[in-house]
Amino acid sequence: MVRVERLYKKYARKADWAVHNVSFTVRPGEIVGLLGHNGAGKSTTLKCLEGMLPFEHGRITICGHDIVADPIAAKAEMGFVTDDHAVFVKMTGLQYLEFMADIYRVPQKVRAARLKILEKVFRLGGSVRNLIASYSHGMRQKICMMGSLIHAPKLWILDEPMTGLDPRTMRAVQNYMVAYAKAGNGILFSSHALGTVAKLCDRVVLIRKGKQVSNVNVKEIAARNPDFDFEEYFLRHERHA
Amino acid sequence: MKDTLDRAQLFALLRKQRREASASFRKGNFNAVGFLFRLALVAVFLAVFILFLGNFLEIYLAVKTDGAPDASSRLFEVLTAAYTVVLLAMVVGAVSQINRALFLADDMRVMSALPVGAKTLYVSKLIVIYLHQAVTAAVCVLSVNLTCAAYLPQGWLYYLLTVLAVFLLPLLSVGIASVLALPFHALRLLLRDRFVLSFLVITLVTAGLLFLYAYLLEGVKELLLGDDIKYFFNEGVMNAIGTAVSYMYPANLLAGLFAGKNVLYCCLVLLAVLAACALVSLVGIRFILVRALRARTGSQHVYTRSRFYLHGEKPQLLALMKKEFLLIFRTPDYMFSYFSVALVVPLMVYFCMSVGASLVVRLIAVQCDVELAVFLTLVFGSLANVFCTTNISRDGSMFYSVKAMPVGYRSVIFSKVFLCLIVTALSQLLTAAVLLAAGYLSALNALFLFGVGLLFGVAQICIATRVDLNHAKFSMEPDGEIKESGNTASVVIVAGLLTSFLVGGAVLLARMFLALRGLADRYAYLTFLVAGGVALLFALLGVFVLLYKLKSRYYRFSGGVL
Repeated sequence: MVRVERLYKKYARKADWAVHNVSFTVRPGEIVGLLGHNGAGKSTTLKCLEGMLPFEHGRITICGHDIVADPIAAKAEMGFVTDDHAVFVKMTGLQYLEFMADIYRVPQKVRAARLKILEKVFRLGGSVRNLIASYSHGMRQKICMMGSLIHAPKLWILDEPMTGLDPRTMRAVQNYMVAYAKAGNGILFSSHALGTVAKLCDRVVLIRKGKQVSNVNVKEIAARNPDFDFEEYFLRHERHA
Repeated sequence: MKDTLDRAQLFALLRKQRREASASFRKGNFNAVGFLFRLALVAVFLAVFILFLGNFLEIYLAVKTDGAPDASSRLFEVLTAAYTVVLLAMVVGAVSQINRALFLADDMRVMSALPVGAKTLYVSKLIVIYLHQAVTAAVCVLSVNLTCAAYLPQGWLYYLLTVLAVFLLPLLSVGIASVLALPFHALRLLLRDRFVLSFLVITLVTAGLLFLYAYLLEGVKELLLGDDIKYFFNEGVMNAIGTAVSYMYPANLLAGLFAGKNVLYCCLVLLAVLAACALVSLVGIRFILVRALRARTGSQHVYTRSRFYLHGEKPQLLALMKKEFLLIFRTPDYMFSYFSVALVVPLMVYFCMSVGASLVVRLIAVQCDVELAVFLTLVFGSLANVFCTTNISRDGSMFYSVKAMPVGYRSVIFSKVFLCLIVTALSQLLTAAVLLAAGYLSALNALFLFGVGLLFGVAQICIATRVDLNHAKFSMEPDGEIKESGNTASVVIVAGLLTSFLVGGAVLLARMFLALRGLADRYAYLTFLVAGGVALLFALLGVFVLLYKLKSRYYRFSGGVL
């Protein structure tokens, strides 16, 4: 579903690589977590994957489409939520969803049903008719997520998805992520909430100073070792790296 | 705890603002070319103004009342008028600055949570605004006063008072502005989220100001067409000027000091006005700040739509254009800079045409309405199209989000260009229709004017969009709104105006020259050939500049904020 091969990314006027030789895959039905300290290169990796940023070397394919050679087909397969919750604040929530539906060419006949499902999960209620400029941080996060799912993408990419969400919505989003992956879709997300990562992820990719330091199946490790403590595992890897 | 002025906190706040202001001059952030360019632009405007004022003073200081020249009274009138204009402009600027500093600046969000008193916070903001105003006052007062002194020699007291005026005028403007800041903010709140009403009010106010400008222009025309300009300032006119000047408070008090008219009275009243302004603004501090903080924490943007369903499918290009339209229409500054200005361009052209056409006929007995219309349309059209220099920048970080969507680079860029083209086409169509209805142009000429205006519009929009794509700078404001125009805008303004003056001026001058030699009818096609040909060439050039390596530039884009 997602294949990242030897990805290298450098920002202009910066000496160090922001991302250095990162490779991983996301298979259908899998939830993969991208972990690392602040500035490790998680968001940059995701932005390269989403086609927002150009990269120096490597190859990224989304559902078999190369993000550089065939960007439109690749982007059509994914939905994304950025860490800064960037939305068009001068639109109402509904206008934003409509815009996303138009861009992703969602057929008219499924729009109402999709909106209903998403409303059930995110519960924006009447606020969806207000200008996004009036939304709180958490509400913006919710409308971003709704917009990213309006076309039912095969791959869902989220950068710090739980930030700003209330506990009830956080639980609803987590449940939705599990159900979404079970339906055969892939999810790739970055987070600092180790508890959430441990609970949701099948596999975890650890990045430190732009370099990939581990790529492990945490579910397998946890199954083999009932006393497995993910937080301790993460911190140990950070120290050793 | 009592809200007192804390000197240590005040200095800390001022240091913070100084550091923020100097950040743009640091190595890496400082754009020397752009800075020098803007400086040169101001210098050119000042030089033109001083030249104009000098010529006017030469005539006006010699005007006689009661059979004898009275240079001191004339100086008083000129200074009063000049200070009134400067003060008005400074008050408008200060109201906007206070409003921005208290209600819109992002640091207020942090400040409201810190143990800083309202008085300290407000005074720190006012001091910075005062300093900004003092720079404006220095430029205006020095150029007016020194030009006056060059034509009417003055003693040392005049120069001393000039320096004093530089510091006094901002005190007046900031004092008056702090009184007006709240009503202005209330008006903003009233219009916020009422987008159609805002659009109508902004457009009507702009058109009204334009009408006033046209009225003044008409007066200047009469002045220029008079047999002798001195006869214009007859007894009646001078009495009217004298009466008007006597009502121009407080500028006439300041001018009175320079002209030596009722010096003691002027001093006392000025001091009283300053004290009143200081008192009112100090008393208003608490009220204004409470309002400012409430505006930040309270519910904002009440705009809602009643529907709860998604509309049918739209093509991607249309969806992008709608997004672009909403972004401009629902941001008051953008709405004014583009939609309102584009809508009043026909009025600007018409007013200037009504003055210019008769002026040219009276001065050199040559009919050149088409050429004048081309000239004016290009100049005003280029001013409206300057907005396109923010076509990429105004998306802010959302530009990256759109990049991550399954939509081609052409659709993204063309949606912006097409929306601008629709606005330009509408504006040009209205311009041609107004001039046709007013009888300045025949139907064929109006069609030609529309075509030329549109082609120049294409060129400007394409070039401005590409320049912005190459040098996009995203706003760091929470709503992503661009508050200050960058160097790109200055460059495009100058390039657009230069081209307009060159092409428009060339056809106008050619027509006059040919008419004076009696060849105008024989070579009437020249206007159409030159203006049409150059417009077509520019349009093609613009499209080429936009499309040249556009794909690579779009996908390699990583400027702005990321």
